[in-house]
This record gives sequence, structure tokens and C-alpha cells, in this order.
Amino acid sequence: MMLARVADSLYWMGRYIERAEHVSRLSDVMLTASLDATGDAPRAARTALGAPEDIDEGKTAVDVALGLILDREDPGSVIVSVARARENARQVRDQITSETWERLNLLFLRITSPDAKRQFDQRAVTFLHEVISDLHLFKGAVDSTMSHGEGWRFLMLGIYLERAQLIARLLDASFGEAAQGSPLSDHLSQMGLLRMACALEPYLRVYTADIQPRLIQEFLLFNEDFPRSIRFSTARIEEHLRALAGHGNVQASGAPERLAGRLSSRLRFADLEETATSGAGGLLATVSQDCGRIHEAIYGAFVAYPLEQHLPT
Amino acid sequence: MDDRETLDRPLSAAYRPGVAYDEMYDKDAGVRAHYAALQSRISTLGAGELADRQRTLEQSFLLQGITFTVYGAETSTEQIIPTDLFPRIIPAAEWAKIEAGLAQRLQALNLFLADIYGDQIILKDGVVPRDLVLGAPAYRREMQGLYVPHKAYANVCGSDLIRNEAGEFVVLEDNLRVPSGVSYMLANRDAAKRTFPGTYRTSGVRSIERYPDMLLATLKSLAAEWRPNPQVVVLTPGVYNSAYYEHAYLARLMGAPLVEGRDLVVHDNLVYMRTTVGLKRVDVIYRRVDDDYIDHLTFRRDSALGAAGLFNAYRAGNVVIANAPGAGVADDKAVYAYVPEIIRYYLDQEPILSNVETYLCREPKQLGYVLDNLDKLVVKAVGASGGYGMLVGPHASAEERSDFAQQLKADPSNYIAQPTIQLSTAPCLVDGAIEPRHVDLRPFILCGDKIVVTPGALTRVALKRGSLVVNSSQGGGSKDTWVLTGENETTAAGDLPA
Repeated sequence: MMLARVADSLYWMGRYIERAEHVSRLSDVMLTASLDATGDAPRAARTALGAPEDIDEGKTAVDVALGLILDREDPGSVIVSVARARENARQVRDQITSETWERLNLLFLRITSPDAKRQFDQRAVTFLHEVISDLHLFKGAVDSTMSHGEGWRFLMLGIYLERAQLIARLLDASFGEAAQGSPLSDHLSQMGLLRMACALEPYLRVYTADIQPRLIQEFLLFNEDFPRSIRFSTARIEEHLRALAGHGNVQASGAPERLAGRLSSRLRFADLEETATSGAGGLLATVSQDCGRIHEAIYGAFVAYPLEQHLPT
Repeated sequence: MDDRETLDRPLSAAYRPGVAYDEMYDKDAGVRAHYAALQSRISTLGAGELADRQRTLEQSFLLQGITFTVYGAETSTEQIIPTDLFPRIIPAAEWAKIEAGLAQRLQALNLFLADIYGDQIILKDGVVPRDLVLGAPAYRREMQGLYVPHKAYANVCGSDLIRNEAGEFVVLEDNLRVPSGVSYMLANRDAAKRTFPGTYRTSGVRSIERYPDMLLATLKSLAAEWRPNPQVVVLTPGVYNSAYYEHAYLARLMGAPLVEGRDLVVHDNLVYMRTTVGLKRVDVIYRRVDDDYIDHLTFRRDSALGAAGLFNAYRAGNVVIANAPGAGVADDKAVYAYVPEIIRYYLDQEPILSNVETYLCREPKQLGYVLDNLDKLVVKAVGASGGYGMLVGPHASAEERSDFAQQLKADPSNYIAQPTIQLSTAPCLVDGAIEPRHVDLRPFILCGDKIVVTPGALTRVALKRGSLVVNSSQGGGSKDTWVLTGENETTAAGDLPA
């Protein structure tokens, strides 16, 4: 049992943290990839970030990355995500451990410091690595100091829902409809894509250096053990919702669990043979839509439920 | 004294206490015995080392989020509440008197509150003027005749004490509404343990770490009679309140939910909070929201910080609000002048701690004196706080004084006056040098089924040279306060003020 507002804040804290990490990593890979004259990875990254039009404006990769990281006006930027995560953390300061709070606060202070732009200008990639590593330390503090109870589960739900949607969008931008008929085809770009999902090394261990679009999609969609695959994420979402349904409002709390179970099973039993005929696009769209439905169901069950159901009669 | 031989000369050369009482040095510039250990430790540390420790201290405050936000044109920045690394030390014998005095005072003030919200016998007896109490801005007619558990109206009290030129602790203000600062007291202690671990260990400092559980026990005792295991919550105005850090801190250390008005629902005079599993009953609300804002149906209508219907639930006896609404009438600046009489009236005892001499401008004779001596006095508006509506005579121009005199004559009952007091000074690290700065003392007292005085305090510091204003809104900072157990003390009786 916890305050509905607190559950909401923890959930959003998770979402913003995951978003900040994802955008930081995409920026990092885009910057590195732009050093090579060839390759479509930067384009895919920009598409996945919803900013393909920047290409037309003749912005350099560094300009784009700077905006993605430090632009306070851009609602998707890392600085905005971190600030919002911290704002949510501050609202539930009594519910998270000091270790967790201090990690996030440290990152916030680093990224909002007046010196941040200078540091980025001088050593952009190092700066991004430090941000990502701060986010990993934060997640480590969450895992190792917070009780793995209700509050922690809301936080993890936020992380995995955001992650499933982000990876789905990245795959779509690389191979799906958003790639607009020009899927990533060269080796370098495909390696870049795996890096954006933090998946290169785990992929190599499974498939060796044989990098193919079909295998990349198989790995990021269906791998059971890789923490950034969609299947892994949806399995965790289902798991957390099942645990939460145990204490939830019995009538309504079954809804998000049912939705999550359906999505998770779909990913467990689907494979690329099935999607090969129609392309992965259909499945990716389903993932995206279902995550949206789960989000709404979580609200209906735990946060914004109608009071009338609960007043003593 | 030998101690002076070991002084770190470059650092302490600048240390020149003025006419005020100095906490560390006596009149002959000898180190007071209870400061000897700290002083000799400081003297082994150079300026660089002290600056390092100060930086570490500030960094840890920043990291913990003990900050307030400064909103600028384009960006907002986080600033820490200024904090000084040298603890202020109070010997056991002096503390014993403060402790007894504070307990006596709060006991009397709670009896006073129970009386004026009950039969008003003290008013009938003419000890305190009726119109002064019933006309005070903090008096709440709605509280008349209500049941209050243990007759404890003020459950958390943060009194402001100062030490005058003679070295005597006197009470400047009783704070019975929503006193803050206790989290800084605890954070300063954490920091001091890291800054001077050896000195802390050998000095025999009384522990304050139990404040959160004592607070929880106090709050629970208010509902114990009718709810065996009461649900306690902390009510905050929200994340933008300047004391939000403290609200979250206390909630976390008590293990109580930190709620906002929008989390509360009142139905059939019962108070609930919205949780992930539906509505859960709330029994005790430690509110950090002013009286005016707790229930817009009863008090201010433009407020959204409280919960609609909360006061009715309180009136019905279904929830406890701590401190009780209306408790502030007992810390009214005009009522303050009567506190010594109030103590004598209810307890038949002499006050252990003195008041600062106070002139009530509502009395024609005293008004005459105040008008004749405006250049020596501090004049305060009764209803105001935080340094507003105030004239500091010695620092004001002749024109300001004559303007203020007009205001005084127009509405004398709205003002009180007090002599300007030189607060005591304590050593602080300022721009790399150790310098005296004026300090006050805010101890915290709890009152539920019994009174508990926390053996420590927040020492507030006026960081500007010569300034007597310690408020954090006006450039004040704070430092840790060590109350000694007495077991390790070598204090000679002659060292204490008479």
C-alpha cells in the first residue's frame, strides 16, 4: 500500500531515467558513427529520436547531439528527462533511499551545471559516457538499496515500458516503415544500431560477427536473456504487474496484468518466420500500442481510479 | 593560558570578539574550558585544511539536496543553506537550566491554550487582557470548546533563545505553529561527526539522533486512546515549499507517508488518503501547513493546500491535527510579554528562563517610553514575522523613526518594543579566517503525553559581519550545536555565567 501519487511519481521517474539513458546512448553512437563518411546509422538514430528534419537544416552531428543532451526547450532532451526524473524523485524523497537519491541528484547537478556545455564541447563522447555511467550507478543503487516491494515495482514498470517502446521505435526506424523504404543495409550501420541498443557484445556472443538485419531483429525482439530485448522487457512488465495485482484493487488491477500477459505471450511464441511474411512492422506497432494500453490500464487500476468504488458505504 | 600559545596565529589573529558575549573566549581572551578540545583541534589544522573540510561539508549538503532553488532569468540553480563547520558548544550545567526552562514554558503555554479555548479563567481573572488574546490574529474561534488529546495544543515547539551581553540565555520568541529547522539540526550533526570525529568522540556530546522516533511517539500518543495503531502522516504544502526538504526528511525517518492536500479525501467526517489499493484511514496529521490553509471550507477559501472538510473531521474527533489549529495565539508577540505571568499563574513557579524586556505599546505609559526611546529599541508589529513591519531603532534614520512613530501612534496595540540586544558570538569560518559571528539558539521541544526537550538545537548564524539577523531569508546560516553530557567536562564553576 502506498500513496497513488507516489506510485505515479516512481513510475514516471523510471520512464524518464530510461529515456535519458536511451537518448544519451543514441547521441553517443551517432557522434562516433558520424566520424565515418559512410553509413546510415546517424539517420536511423535521428529518425528513432523523431528528428529526421534536422538533416535538412544542415546541422552537424555535434549540433544535433548538443541539442539532444542540453537543450532545455526540447522535451525529449536528456537534461529535461533528468530534471523531470529528479523532480519526481524529490516528490517521493521519503520513499526512495538516500543512496538512490544522491546518485540521481549528482547526475542532475552535473548536467545542469553552468560548466556542462563547455565540458560537452571539449569532450562530447566522454561527457556522454559519464552521463550513461551515472545512470547505471543510479539503477544499481535502486536495485541494491531499495526494498523490492511495491514502490520499486512501479519504478521498474516505468523503466521497462519505456524501454520496450524505445527499442520498438528504434527497430522501426532502422528496418520498418519509419525507415521509409531504405532499411539499414551496410555492416557499419548495423553495428551502430546494435550499439544504440547496448547490444553489440551480447549479440556477438550469440550470433558471432555475422551481422544480419534478420538476426538483429530476432535478437532485439525475441531474445529471452538480453535485458534490452522487447521480449525481456514485456516479461518483466508482466511479472511486476502480476505482483502488484496481488495487493491492488481486485476489480481493476487485473486489467493491466491481462494486457501485459497477452503481449508477453505474443513475443514468447512469435518468431521471425511468422513476421517474415508481413515484416516486423506489424509486431512493432502492436508492441507500441499495447504498451500504451498497459500504461492507461495502470492508471485506471492504481492511480486515477474513481473514488466512488472505494468509499465505505 | 597555555591554550593561547597553541593558537593557529594566522587564522585566529582576526578573531576579535566585540561587546557581545563570546561563546569560545572569555573576557580576557582565554578559551572557555568546554571549548578547549575543539580549539586545540582547530589550531592543528591550517587554513587550507579547514577550507577543504568546509568544501566537503558543502558538497555533502548539495548532494543530499539540502538546498533551496534560486530562480533566475533563464535557469534555476540550487543553493545550499549556508552552514558553518565549527560546532557551537553548550556545557551540561547550562543546558540543564535551558531544558528545565523550556519544559516549564511549554507546559504553561499548553495550559494557557487549554484555558483560553476552554473556560477562559485566566481572562476572567484579568491576568492577561481579554481583547489582547481574543483579538490576536492567530486566535481561532473555531477551536473553542474542542477536545484536544492530553490538552497538548502545541506538540512541536521551536523556541528562539538568545544569549545576552551578560551571558544569560533568554527567550526571544516561542514558536508554536509550524517551526522548522530540525532537519538542519540533524544534518549539521551528521556533518560535524565527519568534520571533527575525534573531538566529537572525546567531548561527550549528547545524541540527538532519536528526534524522529521521539516525534513519531509524540504523534502516536495523541491518538493512542482511540486508535491502537494510528496511521500518522506528514502533510506538506508540496515540493515548492522552502521547507520541503525537511518535510520529506521527517517523513522518511519516521516511516510515515508524506501527503499533500490532494492525496487526502474527507468522507463522513473521516479522513482518508488515496493509495494504490484504495482509500486508507488517516489518524494523525503532522501538518506543515499553516492554520489558514488546512481546510478551505473552514479557513481561507483561496487555498488548495489542505483538504476540504478536514476541520470538521477534526471537530468530530476523528483525526488529530498537530500542532492544533490556533496554537499560534500563545506565541503572539503581545501575549509573549505575559508569559512570565502565565507561568506563575498556572504553575505557581518562577520562570526559569527570562523573557527579553518587552514594552506593550497598547499601554499608554509604555507607549510614551517607546516613543521617547525609538533610537534604542527594536519595534515589531504583533501580527508580523520574519523581520517584516519592524523598526531597528539604532540602525534607522531620523526620518524613518519619525515615520514609524506616526504608525505607532495611529495603531499602538499593533506594536511591541524591545531593547536592542547584542546576541552572543561564536567562531565561524568566513573567507578563510576564523571570525566571530552573532548566533541564536533554536531548541526543539515535543509535547504529547509528556514533554521531551531534544538535547541539541539549531544554532543560527548571522553570517554578515556585525549583523544581528539570523533568518535564513536574510543571509543567515547555521551550525551544529553540541550539548555536553558533562562527564568529560573540566568546566570550572567560575566559567559559567552567574
